Formats: sequence, C-alpha cells, structure tokens
Amino acid sequence: MNKHKYNLQKIVWAVCAGYLVYGAIFSLIAWEAIRQSRIASIYSVLFLAVGGVIAGYGAKLVHYEKRGKTCWGLSLIHTASKYEFLIEQLVSRDFKVKYKRSILGVFWSFLNPLMMMVVQYVVFANFFFRGSDMKHYAIYLLAGIVMFNGFNDCTTQAMRAITSNATLITKVYVPKYIYPITKVMSASLNVILSLVPLILVTVVYGLFNNLYLKPSILLLPIVLVMFLFFIMGIAFIVSSLMVFFHDIEFLWGVLTTMWMYATPIIYPVSMLQTGSRLGNIALAVVNINPLTHYVNFVRDILINGCSPALSEYGICFAWAAVSMLAGIAVFRKTQDKFVLYI
Amino acid sequence: MENKQEQEVIISVEHVGMQFRMSNDRISSIKEMVTQMLRGKLKYNEFWALKDVSFQVHRGEVVGIIGRNGAGKSTILKIISGILKPTCGTVKRGGNIVPMLELGSGFDYDLTGRENIFLNGAILGYSKEFLMGKYDEILAFSELGEFIEMPIRNYSSGMLMRLAFSIATVVNPEILIVDEILAVGDENFQRKSRARMMELMSGGTTVLFVSHNMDQIREMCNRVVWLESGVVHLEGETAKVCDAYRI
Repeated sequence: MNKHKYNLQKIVWAVCAGYLVYGAIFSLIAWEAIRQSRIASIYSVLFLAVGGVIAGYGAKLVHYEKRGKTCWGLSLIHTASKYEFLIEQLVSRDFKVKYKRSILGVFWSFLNPLMMMVVQYVVFANFFFRGSDMKHYAIYLLAGIVMFNGFNDCTTQAMRAITSNATLITKVYVPKYIYPITKVMSASLNVILSLVPLILVTVVYGLFNNLYLKPSILLLPIVLVMFLFFIMGIAFIVSSLMVFFHDIEFLWGVLTTMWMYATPIIYPVSMLQTGSRLGNIALAVVNINPLTHYVNFVRDILINGCSPALSEYGICFAWAAVSMLAGIAVFRKTQDKFVLYI
Repeated sequence: MENKQEQEVIISVEHVGMQFRMSNDRISSIKEMVTQMLRGKLKYNEFWALKDVSFQVHRGEVVGIIGRNGAGKSTILKIISGILKPTCGTVKRGGNIVPMLELGSGFDYDLTGRENIFLNGAILGYSKEFLMGKYDEILAFSELGEFIEMPIRNYSSGMLMRLAFSIATVVNPEILIVDEILAVGDENFQRKSRARMMELMSGGTTVLFVSHNMDQIREMCNRVVWLESGVVHLEGETAKVCDAYRI
C-alpha cells in the first residue's frame, strides 16, 4: 500500500551524524578508559574506520534502492517502516491497558520503583549490611534493583507475548516476532521511566553525601541499548518455549530468583573474595553472569562518575549479540509451529 | 488490455499439502512429555488436511470454495492468508490480502472504541494516514455515535460486531478472503453490511470465499473450487460445479 514512506537518504545521514556526534561525546567522556586500554594507539583509526563502514553501507543502501535491488539492510528498514504503526499501536495498548483502571495512572511507573527502593533500602542497608564499609551503598543497591527488576519485568511479560495473542496469531497474518518485540518495548519503557526516580534519588542522596552526577551519565544510553538487546534475545527464547511448554512460566520464576542471587545486587562482590573454594566458585559464577556486567556498568557511571574499562563494553556487547543470535535462531526455528500449538 | 488484465494470476496455489500431527493428547508440559516418552506413547497420528491442492485465481475474479465440513476449506484460506505454513507446496500472492476470517479478533476490551479502531486497523495492515482519513466513515457506518469513546467491554455484542465489520470493510483490498458472508446486527444493519460486502465483491476486488449457502455461491461466483476431504474434487464454472455438488 505505502511502499516508500521513509526517506532513505535522510535515515542514512541521520545515522552518520548521530555516530559522529555521539562518538565524539563518548570519546571525550571515556577518554581515560580508552587511554588505558590496549587499543589506545589505534583508537582514532578504529573510530574513523567504523564511521567509514557505516557511511559506506549507507551509500550502498541508497545505491541499491535506486536500482531497485534489495539486501538485508534495505528489507530491515522496509519492514520497520511497514510495521511501525502496528508496533506503535501495540506498545501504546500495553501501556494504556496497564494503568487504565488505576487512579494514579502512569504516575505508578515512577512511584512503584521509588517505593520498592525505599523498602529494599531500609531492609538491606540497615539490617544486613549495616557495618559494610562500602561507599554509597544506597546507590549501589538501588541501581542493582532497578536494572534487575527491569530484566525480570521485561522477560516475564515477553514470555506470554505469543500465548496471550493466540487469537490474533490464528486469525491474521502479522510477522510473529512483532509480539515479543512490542512486549519488550512496552516493558522497557517502564524501565526507562524507573530510571528517573533512580537518578532523582542519586541527586538527592548526593547532596548530602558528596556524590555528584558527572557527564558520564551520558553513557547510560549505550549500556541501556545493549541491555535491551540482551533482554530481547532472552524474550525470543522464553516466548517461543512458552508455546510448547507452559511449565516455563513457573520455572522462570525460580530461575530468575536464582539469577538474582547470582548477581551482585544486594551484596558487594568483595564479599565473595574470601579465598575459600566455595567463594571462588561463586566469584566465577558472578563474573560470567551477564547481568553482573550490565549492573556494574550502570554503577560505574552513577557512583564512580567515569566510564568503565573498554573491555566491559566488549563483554556487554558480546552478551547482547550472543543472546540476540540465540533468540533469533530459536524463534525462527519454532515460529511456524506456533499456530499448531497455541 | 481489459482482457489481458483479467488473465493475470493473482493467487497461485501449487501442490499444497498440509499435514497435522495429532498426538493422542496435546502435550503441554515437559513432565508430561518425558513421562509419555518413557512409556513410549509419544506417537502421532498423521493427518493430511490438504493433499496436493492446486488452483489459480485471476485478478478480479470471485472464486467460491465449497465442500463438506472438514474438507479443508478454512485450512486453505488460512494458508493463502499466510497464517499457516503449508507442509509442502507453495502459494504465490500478487497483492495485499485482507482476511476476514473472524471479526474483531484483535480487540482489546479495556480500550475505547476509538482506540480499538486504530489498534485493529493496524493489525489488519492499514496505515495511520489511511485510518485518520477514514475514521469518520468507520464511525458513521458503525452507527456507534458517542459510544465510540467508551471502553468496548461495555458494548453489547451487536455493537462489537458492527464496529468490527466497519473496520474490516473500510478498505478496498486487492484480495479479500471471506469465511462465510458476514451479516451482523439488526435487520437494518444486516442489509447494510450485505450491501457493503456485495459492493466490495463487485468492485474489482479479487475475492475468495467460503460458504455453505449455495444460492450465494451461484449469485456471486465466477468459478467454484470443490474440496472433498483435502483434495480438489472438481473445479470450474459455477453452475457446473454447483449442480454436481447438489447431487
């Protein structure tokens, strides 16, 4: 019906400009981390090379579009523009329905994490880690809680993305990946909203405890995007498993609880460094756990006010990529059978 | 030119087969599957709903699909709409399809009528601009008036069907797929909706429709495909196939 709603050249220009501007900001803020990394000497070359690749690919897309050829990137943009309206509608539905019958409405998205933070802070900071000599334990704890709750909410809601839309899937053809994607998007909107109280609390807390937000906060989008892709991959896996085995719903609750304790949310990592065998195993588990890296990334930004080491970017990116690839593989393999099982 | 356009194939169904596996019980938990496998009971009954079905639909044609219950009529419609993927064979489509298999399947009962128009329209593949432009038309056709701002969980079933019908038929699709002609609401609205369906079908749209009403089939169709337990039993002129089917 509407084949060329988008302007490809504009998109390509915007992406290139975005890369340059944000890349420059990133380089400035993370300069210290870059200097200490092994790629310090070739960083500028690398930066330009990546920019060149992006621009080159953009040029290729524009060229292909003119000639009427298609390729991976073009069809991606084409699908995105085709289903943009549907995604928008589904996300806004989730959002509207969630608060439709509550008096405070969307305000709950701020209020809920805020109240949860207060409760958990009172319990853990006052009773469990009272003597802890950790600096800014309150923010350490709250950042961990917000990130983990985000992960938990997104995956739990996305799990039912296929099964709860069963009537649609059996009646109308819409690419099925739309459903988990929109569920993750609407749930992650809440995560982003819950970052507002986290930052507010950090500012207020900082006034009394000498902790000030630094420009490093501008790095937050990077970790959030990688985190989102990580969640999306998991969402693909659990939502397709859910179609065949409803038990996943209950197993996942147990699994996320285990996952929570394997992530340094309420305890400091230093607590595990006891030197005992059990401690070493726990430490290994915590280090391999992808959530540890995402959570600590946010903490570095908020508490230390600096960029984490470049290797952390690599680890976070790698986990996001692994999760997405696995998710897409599982989803593609199973999606044709959904109709028969739901 | 006119003639040539009529000859253009818009849907081509080629050797389509659809196999369903019926396990003795539908297994939906790991525990069940493991215990069943241990007992060696994980056997499937294979069942072909469609076997080597081939036919073509040309642009502008109205093709009826007839057959007894369980002949595979709805299955072939779902395969053509892209909802089911055939076990073997291919379907080629040459235009955008609006399936009217079940009205209002994308409704969310907590949203208002207006919000549902946009949600359901998006699901059916309409664009935002199109819906904005047609909004008044949909509202007028549905006769909902000010109720449109109410959450649809408060609607009567007649109101729901009227809304769903108005959204589904506002478009002029290239290919329309209909499972039984829909006539909903009170007598007045039934007449109106039937007229709208007829208008759509005669308006140059390619229509594929399933019906048990032989009078409707005779009246509407250029061609009829008769399915009998998953195979094409007879295909051809409406009168010829209908006469054969009667007996």
